[in-house]
Amino acid sequence: MAEILLSEAEKAFIHHGVQDDLRCDGRTRLDYRPIILETGLVSNASGSSRLRLANSDVLVGVKVELASPLPEKPLEGRLEFFVDCSANATPEFEGRGGEDLANEICRFLQMSYMSGDTINLAELSVLAGQQCWVLYVDILILECGGNLYDTVSLAVKSALYTTQIPSIKVATMDGDQPELELSEDPYDTKRLNTQNVPCLVTLMKIGNHYLVDPTPEEECCSSSGVVVAVSGTKKITAVRKIGSGSLHPESLVSMLKTASEVGAVVNKILMKTLLEEERAGKTQKVGFMR
Amino acid sequence: MPVDSRRLQGPESAFSYTLLEKKDANAEESILSADMQKMLIDSKQIRKDKRKPTDARPLFLRTGIISQAKGSAYIEQGNTKLVCGVYGPREVQKKSDFRLNGQLFCEFKFAPFSCQKRRSHQQDNEELVLSGLLREALEAAVCLHHFPKAQVEVNVMVIENDGSPLAAALTCASLALSSASIPMYDLVVGASVRQLPKVLLLDPTKDEEWQPELSHDQNNSNLTVGYMPSMQQVCAYVHEGVSNTEDLEQMLKLVTEYCLKVQPIVQLCLKETVEKMLANEGENKDAE
Repeated sequence: MAEILLSEAEKAFIHHGVQDDLRCDGRTRLDYRPIILETGLVSNASGSSRLRLANSDVLVGVKVELASPLPEKPLEGRLEFFVDCSANATPEFEGRGGEDLANEICRFLQMSYMSGDTINLAELSVLAGQQCWVLYVDILILECGGNLYDTVSLAVKSALYTTQIPSIKVATMDGDQPELELSEDPYDTKRLNTQNVPCLVTLMKIGNHYLVDPTPEEECCSSSGVVVAVSGTKKITAVRKIGSGSLHPESLVSMLKTASEVGAVVNKILMKTLLEEERAGKTQKVGFMR
Repeated sequence: MPVDSRRLQGPESAFSYTLLEKKDANAEESILSADMQKMLIDSKQIRKDKRKPTDARPLFLRTGIISQAKGSAYIEQGNTKLVCGVYGPREVQKKSDFRLNGQLFCEFKFAPFSCQKRRSHQQDNEELVLSGLLREALEAAVCLHHFPKAQVEVNVMVIENDGSPLAAALTCASLALSSASIPMYDLVVGASVRQLPKVLLLDPTKDEEWQPELSHDQNNSNLTVGYMPSMQQVCAYVHEGVSNTEDLEQMLKLVTEYCLKVQPIVQLCLKETVEKMLANEGENKDAE
Protein backbone atom coordinates (compact mmCIF):
# COMPACT_ATOMS: atom_id res chain seq x y z
CA MET A 1 0.00 0.00 0.00
CA ALA A 2 2.52 2.58 -1.12
CA GLU A 3 1.09 6.02 -1.23
CA ILE A 4 -1.63 5.66 -3.86
CA LEU A 5 -2.86 9.04 -4.98
CA LEU A 6 -5.89 8.85 -7.19
CA SER A 7 -7.63 11.77 -8.80
CA GLU A 8 -11.40 12.06 -8.72
CA ALA A 9 -11.55 11.16 -12.40
CA GLU A 10 -9.59 7.96 -11.80
CA LYS A 11 -11.85 7.02 -8.91
CA ALA A 12 -14.93 7.63 -11.06
CA PHE A 13 -13.40 5.47 -13.80
CA ILE A 14 -12.89 2.60 -11.37
CA HIS A 15 -16.44 2.99 -10.04
CA HIS A 16 -17.96 2.84 -13.52
CA GLY A 17 -15.82 -0.12 -14.42
CA VAL A 18 -16.98 -2.04 -11.37
CA GLN A 19 -20.60 -1.25 -12.23
CA ASP A 20 -20.13 -2.74 -15.67
CA ASP A 21 -18.33 -5.81 -14.27
CA LEU A 22 -15.14 -4.84 -16.10
CA ARG A 23 -12.25 -3.77 -13.90
CA CYS A 24 -9.23 -1.77 -14.98
CA ASP A 25 -7.19 -4.86 -15.78
CA GLY A 26 -10.00 -6.59 -17.66
CA ARG A 27 -11.12 -8.90 -14.84
CA THR A 28 -14.69 -9.44 -13.75
CA ARG A 29 -15.66 -8.66 -10.17
CA LEU A 30 -15.06 -12.22 -8.99
CA ASP A 31 -11.78 -12.95 -10.77
CA TYR A 32 -8.44 -13.39 -9.07
CA ARG A 33 -5.18 -12.15 -10.55
CA PRO A 34 -2.64 -14.75 -11.70
CA ILE A 35 -1.05 -16.69 -8.85
CA ILE A 36 2.42 -18.23 -8.90
CA LEU A 37 3.08 -20.76 -6.17
CA GLU A 38 6.16 -22.73 -5.30
CA THR A 39 6.84 -24.86 -2.24
CA GLY A 40 9.93 -26.33 -0.65
CA LEU A 41 12.19 -23.39 -1.35
CA VAL A 42 13.84 -22.97 2.01
CA SER A 43 16.01 -25.93 2.89
CA ASN A 44 16.34 -25.15 6.58
CA ALA A 45 12.61 -24.99 7.16
CA SER A 46 10.40 -28.03 7.64
CA GLY A 47 7.97 -26.57 5.16
CA SER A 48 7.98 -23.44 3.06
CA SER A 49 6.18 -21.79 0.25
CA ARG A 50 6.32 -18.69 -1.83
CA LEU A 51 3.19 -17.26 -3.31
CA ARG A 52 2.98 -14.37 -5.72
CA LEU A 53 -0.44 -12.91 -6.43
CA ALA A 54 0.27 -10.38 -9.17
CA ASN A 55 2.34 -7.83 -7.22
CA SER A 56 1.90 -9.25 -3.73
CA ASP A 57 4.75 -11.53 -2.76
CA VAL A 58 4.76 -13.60 0.42
CA LEU A 59 7.30 -16.13 1.68
CA VAL A 60 6.29 -18.53 4.44
CA GLY A 61 8.60 -20.78 6.41
CA VAL A 62 7.41 -23.40 8.90
CA LYS A 63 9.76 -24.69 11.54
CA VAL A 64 8.79 -27.50 13.87
CA GLU A 65 10.17 -27.65 17.35
CA LEU A 66 9.55 -29.64 20.47
CA ALA A 67 8.17 -27.82 23.47
CA SER A 68 5.93 -28.38 26.42
CA PRO A 69 2.24 -27.96 25.67
CA LEU A 70 0.08 -25.24 27.17
CA PRO A 71 -1.08 -26.19 30.66
CA GLU A 72 -4.73 -25.73 29.62
CA LYS A 73 -4.33 -28.03 26.63
CA PRO A 74 -1.96 -30.84 27.58
CA LEU A 75 -3.02 -33.12 24.72
CA GLU A 76 -2.52 -30.71 21.87
CA GLY A 77 0.31 -29.16 19.95
CA ARG A 78 0.35 -25.51 18.87
CA LEU A 79 0.62 -23.30 15.87
CA GLU A 80 2.32 -19.96 16.35
CA PHE A 81 2.02 -17.34 13.66
CA PHE A 82 4.29 -14.42 13.12
CA VAL A 83 3.90 -11.90 10.34
CA ASP A 84 6.75 -9.64 9.39
CA CYS A 85 5.95 -6.70 7.18
CA SER A 86 9.39 -5.81 5.96
CA ALA A 87 10.20 -2.29 4.83
CA ASN A 88 10.95 -3.74 1.39
CA ALA A 89 7.29 -4.28 0.78
CA THR A 90 6.26 -0.67 0.85
CA PRO A 91 7.81 2.47 2.35
CA GLU A 92 4.94 2.73 4.82
CA PHE A 93 6.29 -0.32 6.65
CA GLU A 94 9.51 1.38 7.59
CA GLY A 95 10.45 1.07 11.24
CA ARG A 96 7.37 0.09 13.22
CA GLY A 97 4.89 1.21 10.60
CA GLY A 98 3.98 -2.29 9.50
CA GLU A 99 3.43 -3.58 13.02
CA ASP A 100 -0.28 -2.83 13.22
CA LEU A 101 -1.09 -4.55 9.96
CA ALA A 102 1.21 -7.47 10.81
CA ASN A 103 -0.50 -7.87 14.16
CA GLU A 104 -3.96 -7.81 12.61
CA ILE A 105 -3.11 -10.42 10.00
CA CYS A 106 -1.44 -12.58 12.62
CA ARG A 107 -4.37 -12.39 15.00
CA PHE A 108 -6.95 -13.05 12.31
CA LEU A 109 -5.00 -16.08 11.08
CA GLN A 110 -4.85 -17.40 14.62
CA MET A 111 -8.59 -16.94 15.04
CA SER A 112 -9.45 -18.64 11.79
CA TYR A 113 -7.16 -21.59 12.53
CA MET A 114 -8.43 -22.08 16.05
CA SER A 115 -12.07 -22.37 15.03
CA GLY A 116 -13.63 -25.72 14.47
CA ASP A 117 -11.61 -28.65 13.25
CA THR A 118 -9.49 -26.85 10.70
CA ILE A 119 -6.34 -28.59 11.78
CA ASN A 120 -6.09 -31.51 14.16
CA LEU A 121 -3.76 -30.30 16.88
CA ALA A 122 -4.00 -33.59 18.75
CA GLU A 123 -1.81 -35.09 16.02
CA LEU A 124 0.98 -32.83 17.17
CA SER A 125 1.12 -34.25 20.67
CA VAL A 126 4.19 -36.39 21.40
CA LEU A 127 3.92 -37.09 25.09
CA ALA A 128 0.73 -36.05 26.81
CA GLY A 129 1.30 -33.11 29.10
CA GLN A 130 5.04 -33.02 28.54
CA GLN A 131 6.12 -32.70 24.95
CA CYS A 132 4.38 -31.60 21.82
CA TRP A 133 5.24 -30.24 18.42
CA VAL A 134 5.02 -26.50 18.00
CA LEU A 135 4.78 -25.27 14.43
CA TYR A 136 6.25 -21.81 14.08
CA VAL A 137 4.74 -20.32 10.95
CA ASP A 138 6.74 -17.25 9.95
CA ILE A 139 5.36 -15.11 7.21
CA LEU A 140 7.49 -12.61 5.36
CA ILE A 141 5.76 -10.02 3.28
CA LEU A 142 8.22 -9.24 0.53
CA GLU A 143 6.07 -7.07 -1.63
CA CYS A 144 2.70 -5.48 -1.08
CA GLY A 145 0.41 -5.24 -4.08
CA GLY A 146 -3.00 -5.27 -2.47
CA ASN A 147 -5.01 -8.13 -1.00
CA LEU A 148 -2.50 -9.25 1.61
CA TYR A 149 -4.92 -11.38 3.62
CA ASP A 150 -5.65 -13.75 0.73
CA THR A 151 -2.03 -14.03 -0.33
CA VAL A 152 -0.86 -14.81 3.19
CA SER A 153 -3.54 -17.43 3.82
CA LEU A 154 -2.88 -19.29 0.57
CA ALA A 155 0.86 -19.27 1.21
CA VAL A 156 0.40 -20.54 4.76
CA LYS A 157 -1.89 -23.33 3.62
CA SER A 158 0.66 -24.41 0.99
CA ALA A 159 3.51 -24.31 3.47
CA LEU A 160 1.58 -26.38 6.01
CA TYR A 161 0.67 -28.87 3.31
CA THR A 162 4.32 -29.53 2.57
CA THR A 163 5.55 -29.47 6.16
CA GLN A 164 7.38 -32.62 7.16
CA ILE A 165 7.25 -33.50 10.84
CA PRO A 166 9.90 -36.03 11.93
CA SER A 167 8.73 -39.23 13.57
CA ILE A 168 9.47 -39.47 17.24
CA LYS A 169 9.10 -42.60 19.26
CA VAL A 170 8.69 -42.52 22.97
CA ALA A 171 10.85 -45.14 24.61
CA THR A 172 9.88 -45.83 28.19
CA MET A 173 12.86 -46.56 30.31
CA ASP A 174 12.97 -48.38 33.60
CA GLY A 175 13.04 -45.16 35.55
CA ASP A 176 10.19 -42.68 35.29
CA GLN A 177 11.84 -40.61 32.60
CA PRO A 178 10.54 -41.47 29.16
CA GLU A 179 13.05 -40.86 26.40
CA LEU A 180 12.34 -39.51 22.98
CA GLU A 181 13.91 -41.25 20.04
CA LEU A 182 14.20 -39.54 16.73
CA SER A 183 13.88 -41.83 13.75
CA GLU A 184 17.23 -42.45 12.02
CA ASP A 185 15.77 -42.09 8.57
CA PRO A 186 15.54 -38.37 7.73
CA TYR A 187 12.76 -39.10 5.27
CA ASP A 188 10.63 -40.83 7.85
CA THR A 189 8.25 -37.97 8.38
CA LYS A 190 4.56 -37.40 8.66
CA ARG A 191 2.47 -34.67 7.17
CA LEU A 192 -0.54 -32.80 8.49
CA ASN A 193 -3.99 -33.11 7.03
CA THR A 194 -4.60 -29.66 5.63
CA GLN A 195 -7.81 -30.46 3.79
CA ASN A 196 -9.92 -28.23 6.04
CA VAL A 197 -7.44 -25.45 6.56
CA PRO A 198 -9.19 -22.16 5.77
CA CYS A 199 -8.44 -19.72 2.99
CA LEU A 200 -9.12 -16.05 3.51
CA VAL A 201 -11.19 -14.19 0.94
CA THR A 202 -11.23 -10.40 0.91
CA LEU A 203 -14.24 -8.64 -0.54
CA MET A 204 -14.14 -4.86 -0.89
CA LYS A 205 -17.27 -2.82 -1.53
CA ILE A 206 -17.20 -0.21 -4.28
CA GLY A 207 -20.51 1.50 -4.95
CA ASN A 208 -23.23 -1.15 -4.98
CA HIS A 209 -20.97 -4.05 -5.88
CA TYR A 210 -18.15 -5.93 -4.24
CA LEU A 211 -14.85 -7.16 -5.63
CA VAL A 212 -12.66 -10.14 -5.00
CA ASP A 213 -8.89 -9.62 -4.91
CA PRO A 214 -8.71 -5.82 -5.04
CA THR A 215 -5.67 -4.01 -6.42
CA PRO A 216 -4.16 -1.18 -4.34
CA GLU A 217 -6.02 1.39 -6.48
CA GLU A 218 -9.33 -0.38 -5.92
CA GLU A 219 -8.61 -0.62 -2.19
CA CYS A 220 -8.12 3.14 -2.22
CA CYS A 221 -11.55 3.66 -3.82
CA SER A 222 -13.33 1.47 -1.35
CA SER A 223 -14.23 2.43 2.19
CA SER A 224 -15.23 -0.94 3.60
CA GLY A 225 -15.02 -4.65 3.04
CA VAL A 226 -14.94 -8.02 4.76
CA VAL A 227 -12.30 -10.68 5.16
CA VAL A 228 -13.84 -14.14 5.42
CA ALA A 229 -12.05 -17.34 6.39
CA VAL A 230 -13.61 -20.21 4.44
CA SER A 231 -12.68 -23.77 5.30
CA GLY A 232 -12.48 -26.68 2.93
CA THR A 233 -16.03 -27.70 3.73
CA LYS A 234 -17.48 -24.33 2.65
CA LYS A 235 -18.03 -23.30 6.27
CA ILE A 236 -17.05 -19.88 7.51
CA THR A 237 -14.59 -19.95 10.39
CA ALA A 238 -13.92 -16.24 10.96
CA VAL A 239 -15.14 -12.93 9.59
CA ARG A 240 -13.93 -9.40 10.10
CA LYS A 241 -15.10 -6.18 8.64
CA ILE A 242 -12.20 -3.99 7.50
CA GLY A 243 -12.03 -0.36 6.49
CA SER A 244 -13.56 2.74 8.02
CA GLY A 245 -16.88 2.63 6.22
CA SER A 246 -20.10 0.89 7.08
CA LEU A 247 -22.19 -1.78 5.38
CA HIS A 248 -25.89 -2.42 5.12
CA PRO A 249 -26.87 -5.75 6.73
CA GLU A 250 -28.26 -7.08 3.45
CA SER A 251 -25.11 -6.33 1.48
CA LEU A 252 -23.08 -7.85 4.30
CA VAL A 253 -25.05 -11.09 4.10
CA SER A 254 -24.74 -11.31 0.32
CA MET A 255 -20.99 -10.64 0.59
CA LEU A 256 -20.68 -13.51 3.06
CA LYS A 257 -22.55 -15.84 0.73
CA THR A 258 -20.33 -14.90 -2.22
CA ALA A 259 -17.22 -15.25 -0.09
CA SER A 260 -18.08 -18.80 0.92
CA GLU A 261 -18.65 -19.77 -2.74
CA VAL A 262 -15.40 -18.15 -3.85
CA GLY A 263 -13.51 -19.64 -0.92
CA ALA A 264 -14.66 -23.13 -1.77
CA VAL A 265 -13.43 -22.75 -5.35
CA VAL A 266 -10.08 -21.31 -4.25
CA ASN A 267 -9.58 -24.14 -1.77
CA LYS A 268 -10.30 -26.75 -4.41
CA ILE A 269 -7.94 -25.24 -6.97
CA LEU A 270 -5.18 -24.81 -4.40
CA MET A 271 -5.37 -28.43 -3.28
CA LYS A 272 -5.36 -29.58 -6.89
CA THR A 273 -2.27 -27.50 -7.65
CA LEU A 274 -0.44 -28.73 -4.58
CA LEU A 275 -1.18 -32.34 -5.50
CA GLU A 276 0.08 -31.78 -9.02
CA GLU A 277 3.28 -30.23 -7.75
CA GLU A 278 3.81 -33.13 -5.41
CA ARG A 279 3.27 -35.62 -8.19
CA ALA A 280 5.70 -33.80 -10.46
CA GLY A 281 8.38 -34.65 -7.94
CA LYS A 282 11.65 -32.95 -7.15
CA THR A 283 12.18 -31.15 -10.41
CA GLN A 284 14.39 -28.12 -10.69
CA LYS A 285 13.32 -25.38 -8.33
CA VAL A 286 12.67 -22.05 -9.96
CA GLY A 287 13.12 -20.13 -6.73
CA PHE A 288 13.68 -16.41 -6.88
CA MET A 289 15.19 -16.32 -10.30
CA ARG A 290 11.85 -15.64 -11.91
CA MET B 1 0.99 2.95 33.42
CA PRO B 2 4.74 2.52 33.21
CA VAL B 3 5.44 0.92 29.88
CA ASP B 4 8.87 -0.55 29.18
CA SER B 5 9.18 -0.68 25.42
CA ARG B 6 12.91 -1.38 25.24
CA ARG B 7 13.09 -4.71 27.00
CA LEU B 8 11.38 -7.91 25.96
CA GLN B 9 10.16 -9.65 29.07
CA GLY B 10 10.61 -13.41 29.11
CA PRO B 11 7.59 -15.62 29.60
CA GLU B 12 6.35 -15.68 33.15
CA SER B 13 6.56 -18.94 35.02
CA ALA B 14 3.57 -18.12 37.18
CA PHE B 15 0.32 -19.78 36.18
CA SER B 16 -3.24 -19.62 37.34
CA TYR B 17 -4.16 -21.97 40.18
CA THR B 18 -7.45 -22.83 38.44
CA LEU B 19 -5.47 -25.22 36.24
CA LEU B 20 -5.01 -27.44 39.26
CA GLU B 21 -8.77 -27.73 39.71
CA LYS B 22 -10.00 -31.30 39.61
CA LYS B 23 -12.13 -31.58 36.54
CA ASP B 24 -14.83 -34.23 36.73
CA ALA B 25 -15.02 -36.75 33.92
CA ASN B 26 -18.27 -35.22 32.65
CA ALA B 27 -16.62 -31.90 32.01
CA GLU B 28 -13.87 -33.56 29.97
CA GLU B 29 -16.37 -35.12 27.60
CA SER B 30 -18.59 -32.11 27.25
CA ILE B 31 -16.54 -30.65 24.45
CA LEU B 32 -19.27 -32.08 22.26
CA SER B 33 -21.89 -29.60 21.30
CA ALA B 34 -24.83 -31.52 22.69
CA ASP B 35 -23.43 -31.55 26.19
CA MET B 36 -22.21 -27.99 25.88
CA GLN B 37 -25.72 -26.99 25.09
CA LYS B 38 -27.01 -28.84 28.16
CA MET B 39 -24.52 -26.98 30.30
CA LEU B 40 -25.65 -23.59 29.11
CA ILE B 41 -29.33 -23.98 28.58
CA ASP B 42 -31.79 -26.40 30.10
CA SER B 43 -34.78 -28.18 28.60
CA LYS B 44 -37.13 -25.26 29.29
CA GLN B 45 -34.89 -22.94 27.23
CA ILE B 46 -33.71 -21.01 30.29
CA ARG B 47 -30.07 -20.01 30.61
CA LYS B 48 -27.89 -20.27 33.67
CA ASP B 49 -28.70 -16.71 34.75
CA LYS B 50 -32.46 -17.23 34.34
CA ARG B 51 -32.66 -15.43 31.00
CA LYS B 52 -34.39 -16.57 27.86
CA PRO B 53 -32.18 -17.09 24.79
CA THR B 54 -33.25 -13.79 23.24
CA ASP B 55 -33.04 -11.78 26.46
CA ALA B 56 -30.13 -9.43 26.90
CA ARG B 57 -28.69 -8.48 30.24
CA PRO B 58 -29.91 -5.31 31.97
CA LEU B 59 -28.06 -2.23 30.77
CA PHE B 60 -26.84 0.67 32.90
CA LEU B 61 -25.38 3.80 31.30
CA ARG B 62 -24.03 6.99 32.79
CA THR B 63 -22.04 9.86 31.34
CA GLY B 64 -19.79 12.44 32.93
CA ILE B 65 -17.97 9.88 35.00
CA ILE B 66 -14.48 11.29 34.29
CA SER B 67 -14.59 14.96 35.18
CA GLN B 68 -11.32 15.86 33.44
CA ALA B 69 -12.26 14.30 30.12
CA LYS B 70 -14.13 16.14 27.39
CA GLY B 71 -16.67 13.35 27.44
CA SER B 72 -16.94 10.06 29.26
CA ALA B 73 -19.33 7.21 29.82
CA TYR B 74 -19.71 4.17 32.00
CA ILE B 75 -21.58 1.05 30.98
CA GLU B 76 -22.68 -2.00 32.88
CA GLN B 77 -24.06 -4.91 30.92
CA GLY B 78 -24.78 -7.53 33.53
CA ASN B 79 -21.39 -7.95 35.17
CA THR B 80 -19.37 -6.49 32.31
CA LYS B 81 -18.29 -3.03 33.40
CA LEU B 82 -16.31 -0.59 31.38
CA VAL B 83 -15.37 3.07 31.28
CA CYS B 84 -14.65 5.20 28.25
CA GLY B 85 -12.98 8.60 28.17
CA VAL B 86 -12.84 10.91 25.17
CA TYR B 87 -10.29 13.67 24.76
CA GLY B 88 -10.22 16.16 21.93
CA PRO B 89 -10.37 17.41 19.29
CA ARG B 90 -6.82 18.56 19.80
CA GLU B 91 -3.69 18.88 17.71
CA VAL B 92 -2.25 15.74 16.15
CA GLN B 93 0.57 14.53 18.40
CA LYS B 94 2.75 12.85 15.81
CA LYS B 95 4.06 15.38 13.32
CA SER B 96 4.04 12.95 10.41
CA ASP B 97 0.29 12.34 10.65
CA PHE B 98 -1.05 15.42 8.97
CA ARG B 99 -4.33 14.82 7.24
CA LEU B 100 -7.18 16.90 5.94
CA ASN B 101 -9.70 14.82 7.84
CA GLY B 102 -9.71 14.40 11.58
CA GLN B 103 -8.17 11.29 13.10
CA LEU B 104 -9.42 8.93 15.72
CA PHE B 105 -7.06 7.16 18.10
CA CYS B 106 -8.59 4.34 20.11
CA GLU B 107 -7.08 2.46 22.97
CA PHE B 108 -8.79 -0.62 24.30
CA LYS B 109 -7.40 -1.99 27.52
CA PHE B 110 -8.39 -4.73 29.91
CA ALA B 111 -7.52 -3.95 33.49
CA PRO B 112 -5.14 -6.68 34.75
CA PHE B 113 -7.75 -7.89 37.25
CA SER B 114 -10.70 -7.74 34.88
CA CYS B 115 -10.55 -11.24 33.42
CA GLN B 116 -10.27 -14.64 35.04
CA LYS B 117 -6.68 -14.92 33.81
CA ARG B 118 -4.48 -11.99 34.76
CA ARG B 119 -3.76 -9.62 31.92
CA SER B 120 -0.46 -7.84 31.44
CA HIS B 121 -0.41 -4.12 32.14
CA GLN B 122 0.81 -3.48 28.62
CA GLN B 123 -1.45 -3.85 25.65
CA ASP B 124 -1.16 -7.32 24.20
CA ASN B 125 -2.03 -8.38 20.66
CA GLU B 126 -5.66 -9.06 21.39
CA GLU B 127 -6.16 -5.59 22.85
CA LEU B 128 -4.37 -4.01 19.88
CA VAL B 129 -6.69 -5.75 17.46
CA LEU B 130 -9.75 -4.76 19.51
CA SER B 131 -8.49 -1.15 19.50
CA GLY B 132 -8.28 -1.32 15.70
CA LEU B 133 -11.79 -2.75 15.42
CA LEU B 134 -13.18 -0.06 17.71
CA ARG B 135 -11.44 2.64 15.72
CA GLU B 136 -12.75 1.38 12.39
CA ALA B 137 -16.27 1.18 13.75
CA LEU B 138 -16.21 4.67 15.24
CA GLU B 139 -14.62 6.17 12.11
CA ALA B 140 -17.76 5.19 10.25
CA ALA B 141 -19.91 7.06 12.76
CA VAL B 142 -17.88 10.20 13.48
CA CYS B 143 -17.91 13.18 11.11
CA LEU B 144 -14.15 13.31 10.67
CA HIS B 145 -14.28 16.16 8.20
CA HIS B 146 -15.53 18.46 10.98
CA PHE B 147 -12.16 18.59 12.71
CA PRO B 148 -9.39 18.57 10.11
CA LYS B 149 -5.78 18.22 11.20
CA ALA B 150 -6.97 17.32 14.68
CA GLN B 151 -7.29 14.08 16.60
CA VAL B 152 -9.77 12.66 19.03
CA GLU B 153 -8.63 10.06 21.56
CA VAL B 154 -10.96 7.38 22.81
CA ASN B 155 -9.72 5.33 25.74
CA VAL B 156 -11.68 2.31 26.86
CA MET B 157 -10.84 0.49 30.08
CA VAL B 158 -12.60 -2.75 30.93
CA ILE B 159 -13.00 -3.01 34.68
CA GLU B 160 -14.72 -6.36 34.71
CA ASN B 161 -15.05 -8.69 31.76
CA ASP B 162 -18.07 -10.97 31.90
CA GLY B 163 -18.60 -11.44 28.16
CA SER B 164 -19.13 -9.16 25.15
CA PRO B 165 -16.53 -6.49 26.03
CA LEU B 166 -16.30 -5.20 22.46
CA ALA B 167 -20.06 -4.78 22.15
CA ALA B 168 -20.23 -2.84 25.41
CA ALA B 169 -17.20 -0.76 24.35
CA LEU B 170 -18.89 0.25 21.09
CA THR B 171 -22.01 1.49 22.87
CA CYS B 172 -20.02 3.19 25.62
CA ALA B 173 -17.57 4.88 23.25
CA SER B 174 -20.28 6.31 21.03
CA LEU B 175 -22.12 7.63 24.09
CA ALA B 176 -18.88 9.20 25.37
CA LEU B 177 -18.12 10.73 21.96
CA SER B 178 -21.57 12.25 21.65
CA SER B 179 -21.49 13.61 25.21
CA ALA B 180 -18.14 15.21 24.30
CA SER B 181 -19.93 17.11 21.52
CA ILE B 182 -17.99 15.36 18.76
CA PRO B 183 -20.17 15.55 15.64
CA MET B 184 -21.45 12.12 14.65
CA TYR B 185 -23.71 10.68 11.98
CA ASP B 186 -25.37 8.26 14.34
CA LEU B 187 -24.90 6.41 17.63
CA VAL B 188 -23.22 3.03 17.43
CA VAL B 189 -24.85 0.26 19.42
CA GLY B 190 -22.87 -2.90 20.03
CA ALA B 191 -24.30 -6.38 20.56
CA SER B 192 -23.10 -9.93 20.49
CA VAL B 193 -24.67 -13.33 20.04
CA ARG B 194 -23.51 -16.89 20.65
CA GLN B 195 -24.50 -19.58 18.24
CA LEU B 196 -25.12 -23.09 19.51
CA PRO B 197 -26.21 -25.87 17.14
CA LYS B 198 -29.90 -25.43 17.87
CA VAL B 199 -30.29 -22.08 19.55
CA LEU B 200 -28.93 -18.54 19.52
CA LEU B 201 -28.02 -16.86 22.81
CA LEU B 202 -28.15 -13.07 22.78
CA ASP B 203 -25.61 -11.15 24.88
CA PRO B 204 -23.57 -14.11 26.17
CA THR B 205 -21.72 -14.00 29.47
CA LYS B 206 -18.11 -15.10 29.67
CA ASP B 207 -19.11 -18.69 30.37
CA GLU B 208 -21.54 -18.68 27.46
CA GLU B 209 -19.12 -17.11 25.01
CA TRP B 210 -17.47 -19.28 22.41
CA GLN B 211 -13.98 -20.29 23.43
CA PRO B 212 -11.52 -21.32 20.76
CA GLU B 213 -10.07 -23.90 23.13
CA LEU B 214 -13.20 -25.82 23.92
CA SER B 215 -15.46 -26.10 20.92
CA HIS B 216 -14.33 -28.08 17.96
CA ASP B 217 -17.75 -28.51 16.52
CA GLN B 218 -19.73 -27.15 13.65
CA ASN B 219 -22.27 -24.41 14.19
CA ASN B 220 -20.60 -23.04 17.28
CA SER B 221 -19.58 -19.45 17.03
CA ASN B 222 -19.59 -15.93 18.42
CA LEU B 223 -20.62 -12.81 16.57
CA THR B 224 -20.07 -9.21 17.70
CA VAL B 225 -21.71 -6.45 15.69
CA GLY B 226 -21.59 -2.67 15.87
CA TYR B 227 -24.75 -1.25 14.34
CA MET B 228 -25.93 2.28 13.58
CA PRO B 229 -29.71 1.89 13.96
CA SER B 230 -30.95 5.11 12.35
CA MET B 231 -28.78 4.69 9.29
CA GLN B 232 -29.17 0.90 9.16
CA GLN B 233 -25.47 0.38 8.68
CA VAL B 234 -23.17 -2.20 10.17
CA CYS B 235 -19.90 -0.58 11.21
CA ALA B 236 -18.25 -3.46 13.05
CA TYR B 237 -18.54 -7.17 12.36
CA VAL B 238 -16.42 -9.83 14.04
CA HIS B 239 -17.23 -13.50 13.79
CA GLU B 240 -15.27 -16.40 15.25
CA GLY B 241 -16.24 -20.05 15.09
CA VAL B 242 -17.67 -22.32 12.42
CA SER B 243 -20.97 -21.40 10.78
CA ASN B 244 -23.00 -21.51 7.62
CA THR B 245 -23.96 -18.36 5.79
CA GLU B 246 -27.64 -18.98 6.57
CA ASP B 247 -26.91 -19.05 10.29
CA LEU B 248 -24.85 -15.87 9.98
CA GLU B 249 -27.80 -14.18 8.33
CA GLN B 250 -30.08 -15.20 11.21
CA MET B 251 -27.59 -14.05 13.82
CA LEU B 252 -27.20 -10.68 12.14
CA LYS B 253 -30.97 -10.22 12.05
CA LEU B 254 -31.30 -11.01 15.77
CA VAL B 255 -28.53 -8.61 16.67
CA THR B 256 -29.79 -5.71 14.54
CA GLU B 257 -33.27 -6.06 16.03
CA TYR B 258 -31.78 -5.90 19.52
CA CYS B 259 -29.73 -2.83 18.61
CA LEU B 260 -32.88 -1.06 17.43
CA LYS B 261 -34.44 -1.73 20.84
CA VAL B 262 -31.39 -0.44 22.73
CA GLN B 263 -31.04 2.76 20.73
CA PRO B 264 -33.80 4.67 22.63
CA ILE B 265 -32.09 3.84 25.94
CA VAL B 266 -28.79 5.31 24.78
CA GLN B 267 -30.59 8.32 23.36
CA LEU B 268 -32.41 8.84 26.68
CA CYS B 269 -29.10 8.82 28.57
CA LEU B 270 -27.70 11.36 26.14
CA LYS B 271 -30.80 13.55 26.49
CA GLU B 272 -30.44 13.57 30.29
CA THR B 273 -26.75 14.49 29.90
CA VAL B 274 -27.61 17.44 27.69
CA GLU B 275 -30.34 18.59 30.07
CA LYS B 276 -27.91 18.45 32.98
CA MET B 277 -25.29 20.39 31.04
CA LEU B 278 -27.80 23.08 30.12
CA ALA B 279 -29.01 23.28 33.73
CA ASN B 280 -25.40 23.73 34.91
CA GLU B 281 -24.80 26.44 32.36
CA GLY B 282 -27.96 28.17 33.47
CA GLU B 283 -26.76 28.09 37.09
CA ASN B 284 -23.33 29.45 36.16
CA LYS B 285 -24.94 32.33 34.30
CA ASP B 286 -27.13 33.11 37.30
CA ALA B 287 -24.11 33.04 39.58
CA GLU B 288 -22.26 35.58 37.44
